[in-house]
Amino acid sequence: MDALSRPAVVIDNGTGYTKMGFAGNVEPCFITPTVVAVNDSFSSSAPPAARGAPAKGNWLAQHSAGVMADLDFYIGEEALARSRASSTYSLSYPIRNGQVENWDTMERFWQQCIFNYLRCDPEDHYFLLTESPLTAPETREYTGEIMFETFNVPGLYIAVQPVLALAAGYTTTKCEMTGVVVDVGDGATHIVPVADGYVIGSSIRSIPITGKDVTQFIQQLLKERGENIPPEESFDVARRLKEMYCYTSSDIVKEFNKHDREPSKYIKHWGGIKPKTGAKYTVDIGYERFLGPEIFFNPEIYNNDFTTPLQVVIDRCIQSSPIDTRRALYKNIVLSGGSTMFKDFHRRLQRDLKKIVDARLRASNTRLISGDPKAQPIEVNVVSHPIQRYAVWFGGSVLASTAEFYEACHTKAEYEEYGASICRSNPVFKGMY
Amino acid sequence: MILLQSPSRFLLQILQERVLSGEKGMDIDCHTVEFDDVRYHIQFSMRNPKVMVLSVSLPLPPPEAILHDDLPLGAVDAIKATYGPVVQILDPPKDGFDLTMKINLTKLPPDEEQRNAILTQIASIREVVLGAPLKLLLKHLASKTVAPNVDKLVALVHRPNESFFLAPQADKVTIVYPMRFQDSIDIVLATSFLQEFVEARRTAALNNVPSCMWSPAPPLELKGVPADALNANAGFVTFVVYPRHVESKKLDRTVWNLLTFHAYVSYHVKCSEGFMHTRMRRRVESLIQALDRAKSDAEKLKKLVHGASFKRMSLKNEGDSRF
Ligand SMILES: Nc1ncnc2c1ncn2[C@@H]1O[C@H](COP(=O)(O)OP(=O)(O)O)[C@@H](O)[C@H]1O
Ligand SMILES: [Mg+2]
Repeated sequence: MDALSRPAVVIDNGTGYTKMGFAGNVEPCFITPTVVAVNDSFSSSAPPAARGAPAKGNWLAQHSAGVMADLDFYIGEEALARSRASSTYSLSYPIRNGQVENWDTMERFWQQCIFNYLRCDPEDHYFLLTESPLTAPETREYTGEIMFETFNVPGLYIAVQPVLALAAGYTTTKCEMTGVVVDVGDGATHIVPVADGYVIGSSIRSIPITGKDVTQFIQQLLKERGENIPPEESFDVARRLKEMYCYTSSDIVKEFNKHDREPSKYIKHWGGIKPKTGAKYTVDIGYERFLGPEIFFNPEIYNNDFTTPLQVVIDRCIQSSPIDTRRALYKNIVLSGGSTMFKDFHRRLQRDLKKIVDARLRASNTRLISGDPKAQPIEVNVVSHPIQRYAVWFGGSVLASTAEFYEACHTKAEYEEYGASICRSNPVFKGMY
Repeated sequence: MILLQSPSRFLLQILQERVLSGEKGMDIDCHTVEFDDVRYHIQFSMRNPKVMVLSVSLPLPPPEAILHDDLPLGAVDAIKATYGPVVQILDPPKDGFDLTMKINLTKLPPDEEQRNAILTQIASIREVVLGAPLKLLLKHLASKTVAPNVDKLVALVHRPNESFFLAPQADKVTIVYPMRFQDSIDIVLATSFLQEFVEARRTAALNNVPSCMWSPAPPLELKGVPADALNANAGFVTFVVYPRHVESKKLDRTVWNLLTFHAYVSYHVKCSEGFMHTRMRRRVESLIQALDRAKSDAEKLKKLVHGASFKRMSLKNEGDSRF
């Protein structure tokens, strides 16, 4: 058996969560927080005085302590548990806003994903990794270097996340590789127009409101309302409440009224246990349920610096794309990422965006002189599908199980011949258009 | 850095989720591949949400390895003994697999601890099946006997098309691994790792662990083995295991460690490479910093201008200063 006959490994490293598994599966094997707990007891406890004239023994001790610290680390939920249990470990989030920031911990993260989670030999499989649409080519080279040199992978393809999210629609309907991907993850929100599998780079928009902001907003609301949550847990509890109970309302004023009329129907109770004392406590969650997701549609309720609603940003993104693609883009707006999972999110987005588009059409039609042909109505379609939570991973899984994928990959032999710069470009391949 | 654990994390996760998921349950049909080409195919159907059909395919056996009905010697007995009524072997196995089992989760013991113990054992199916012949031989060693009807030298499947060899005696078992690696750097690193490994064994603290040798050429025990099975590019590692290493509780761990020796070395090699890269990166970064400090202000200014032009190239984003 050779690498071509084994399923490729597909890893989507998100800012918040990493989705990993094997091509051909419907679901990733693991979804785990992208975080590494590193042991920094050695490096921080080294006395600064030793810098002056280190005795040889001391230097050696420090060196091997550093070596041990480099080998002592955990990832994902285990990392979070370790750092909660002891102050020896500090957390490092290798990816910020979709970009790798700490290559040391990123490499260790991959190492654990491959050997300890997937338990596969990286020499045996082709790899498909993902990157945010704003990634610099240098980053791709770095990734390639680690994959080919440290892990000896036989082949590598680095795909752009939104392109994969579009490809995720591939099996459910027919493959439509023109559309706008609205990817709302934990730490980055991107609106990315794609035409025939190619990202229209100049029209990409990012907005500073993400899943983490929803969590923070809820955390803050709960605190202001005086809910009694242990502070060390409050972010995590807010996140869980968000994932379980939040939904998108169609109109917040009406929603407030509904809650006031029938509080017993809308207020949810959640029970937790204080980590320190083991005492039980309960949390009520009410208005937060619809106010959380509302920050995408009315950002001013959360933040004074950024006040452009998501639907407006999407509209501007499409309006700045080439004119011949716009109709097709409005017609296929695809949601991706965990933070688009709120109930009725796609309905609300579709309605609000349609309002903008219709208003513009009406305005232009009234300007017409009688006799001119009227502009055709524009179809606005926000597509929602069951695998939205990990659409990027799923798209990767679908593409990496085609024969064309293996041809589009950079191979170890090519890497050795031409160097890391080959990783800069990853051609669109059939199946993507 | 970790030691490979016997239970597959993925299998265990999927089993535990299913046990806790109540009566409902979705269709699941997925496959995974572990190191050395052990493949799993996992199926749950909505009609029967508490029954998992698990198919396992094993590494391609080398010609000299001993098998019994296409499975390692003693595997079927080991499955029956380990899982009891929870697991039923389906014959013939699914196409493309060596073993298919029906796992009935309603037959798990109600006690949580016992239940988790069995689930962990199911997730360790790899050890149960591939380790069966090794366990058999080592059990005899524990009672200071030699299993009946075995040859002086036994070949067992280690990796696809590769064996490791056992010479069982009543008071000790000698185990030899021909070590092979693909990548030229790996060969070098593995060879020196193995030599260090043997060296480390000599320190006083490790006096009780099995003795261990490394040699570039096949050791005497392998006399008569076909040349194909002996072309190792990273030498030969020999362990001598005594009864005290396989006493009751130690047996399972010893079996697992011996069974995955190559994976263990290979993982260490990869980690060392990663580790060296980390160190090299840090060194380069500190050198760049030093160079930066040495640069004159004028040069820094130039760099700033350059930075600005690069920024223009990067993609527009709305009112966000974070990118
Ligand atoms: N069912 C859900 N409802 C709402 N938010 C969710 C849900 N599931 C996950 N999330 C949120 O989605 C975010 C993770 O999304 P993901 O696409 O994995 O992010 P990234 O790729 O940036 O790491 C987290 O903020 C998480 O809290
Ligand atoms: Mg993502």
